[in-house]
Amino acid sequence: MFDIAMKNLSTRKVRTALCIFAVTAGVFLIGVTLVMNNWMYSMMTEELAKYMGKLYVQQGGSSYPPFDSSLSQMVADAILNRGDLDLNIGNSTDLIFVRTQRGMMPFMPAQQMVIGVPAGKEPALFGTISASRGVNHFEPNEQGNVAILGSEFAKDLTISIGGETSINGQMVQVVGRLEKSSMDSINISAIIPLEAAQRIFSKQGQVSSILLTPNDFHNTSAIAASLREDYPSLSVVTQDDMLKEAEAVMQMPIFYMSSMGITGLIVAMLIIMSTMFMAISERTREFGTLRAIGAQRYVIIGTVMIEALIMALIGVPPAIGLVAIMSRMMETSLPTTAQLLQIISAAVFAAGIGGAYPALRAARVEPLEALRYE
Amino acid sequence: MGPIVETRNVCKTYGMNGIAVEAVRGIDLMVNSGEFVAIVGPSGSGKSSLLNLLGAMDSPSSGEVLFDGRSLTELNDWQRTTLRLKHIGFVFQTFNLLPTLTASENIEIALRLASVGRRESAARAGELLRLVGLSPRALHKPRYLSGGERQRVAIARSLANRPQLLLADEPTGNLDSQTGTSILELLRDLCTRNGQTVILVTHDFRAASYADRVLLLRDGRIHGETSLHAGQDSSQVLGQLLSFELQWGGDRSD
Repeated sequence: MFDIAMKNLSTRKVRTALCIFAVTAGVFLIGVTLVMNNWMYSMMTEELAKYMGKLYVQQGGSSYPPFDSSLSQMVADAILNRGDLDLNIGNSTDLIFVRTQRGMMPFMPAQQMVIGVPAGKEPALFGTISASRGVNHFEPNEQGNVAILGSEFAKDLTISIGGETSINGQMVQVVGRLEKSSMDSINISAIIPLEAAQRIFSKQGQVSSILLTPNDFHNTSAIAASLREDYPSLSVVTQDDMLKEAEAVMQMPIFYMSSMGITGLIVAMLIIMSTMFMAISERTREFGTLRAIGAQRYVIIGTVMIEALIMALIGVPPAIGLVAIMSRMMETSLPTTAQLLQIISAAVFAAGIGGAYPALRAARVEPLEALRYE
Repeated sequence: MGPIVETRNVCKTYGMNGIAVEAVRGIDLMVNSGEFVAIVGPSGSGKSSLLNLLGAMDSPSSGEVLFDGRSLTELNDWQRTTLRLKHIGFVFQTFNLLPTLTASENIEIALRLASVGRRESAARAGELLRLVGLSPRALHKPRYLSGGERQRVAIARSLANRPQLLLADEPTGNLDSQTGTSILELLRDLCTRNGQTVILVTHDFRAASYADRVLLLRDGRIHGETSLHAGQDSSQVLGQLLSFELQWGGDRSD
């Protein structure tokens, strides 16, 4: 069986190459799915690690970032001034979030946003990220139209420090540009004084959310519980809540990516099946001869299945190579051993299903019928 | 020792587009070990259908086919396939070699199907290629062989598992007369020297003249039988056959 299969593969080169290409493409798509899922998950967990021990209070029912949230600034001030919460005042602040450029797909994160933060509370928002140019903080009590740009926000702008850019139709002076950091939400943002944000986006007397940092992060859950009790209409979001929400949000992209991978696999399977059918039809007389000289049906099935399997297995290494290149380009980890086994299983499955029906058809032909076949 | 193959009132009817076609009608036939039997008849006489029944490639509509005393009608597909593999050799008009295998590999495949090891298969293939005079062509694929050479390889393949019976269906049908003669001489030689039992199906009396016994088939029935004697020259044999055919209502003009 193996000898006949190998001979056929090496003789019918175009057909073999076509099937191998189909398997490579299908397996590559599955590999891409896994890499993308790995990348999204690592991006999410890295981002959320920054929020350990912090809470966000925002309008009930809104998600994070709270673009759709609107709170009264009076309520925000009342919460910030609560002595019983034992807050680190220097690292607690009210904020405004506005999305200025959506993600490419509905479920993808925003590509650009503006964050309004009171002058002096910048460290609460982005910690100790230093400026690559200009400054990383506003002048004390600054309320004017000035901006500190995140690394990604500034990437495509050719503005020097002191130059101006437009935000929501109003000109804003750039006073600083931040270094690229691990906080993607800051990298894609323009940070402006809270009052300026309220003015530019017509949100006077409103904020999007309140960032609270407890003095002791062990108190995070207790503070969250207390606030939920006192303000039942508001949403209190901890890092755990963010993680759950992010996982829920990721379900859709994971589903889309998986669908893409599965579609690739189905296409590979169909190409194998149709190519094998063509091959079976060409080789009807050959199979009839084998049956006539004493080959049992399982030999015919085995020969066809072995051909399909070999083509699938040859298609796997180039697909894995392409997936590895893609992982490197996306600066994400290579597929794990378990994921590689998934990829190989997918290829074997595609070959199995793609080759099975043609194999059964080939074995069912009676020798006499096959030998009469022109 | 009983006959190698025997038929008892065997019939084969094909249903085509709702019309029944009786290809074989009540044939009683017996072939003994070491015999060379030719079944002669015009196209449509049922000779290939009869051969397929004798070779367990087809099942009779009624009657019985016995191989070495065992009824083939009792056998399932697996058993009939095993019988063809181990006890019956086929030589086809169109050679039916596997195009992707070399001459040697085409012979070896029959042995590998019978679970013979790689080395032993290669050795046996070499032996058979020597027998048919094609050792230098062992590594050539069928497309590089002439018609006669392909048929020799097919004959060698049919002998791979030392079958009790060799069935040849118009083995010279696609060959020129000189090449055809060499093939017939090879079959005759196998019978004479090795005691191989051969049943040859042909429409050509010249081909039939190589046999020990000739059966005339018309319209699915055996109309006559004649034995050819060793030592007769070819013109005597042909003359005997032609008169035999005319006796039974033949209208050959050549």
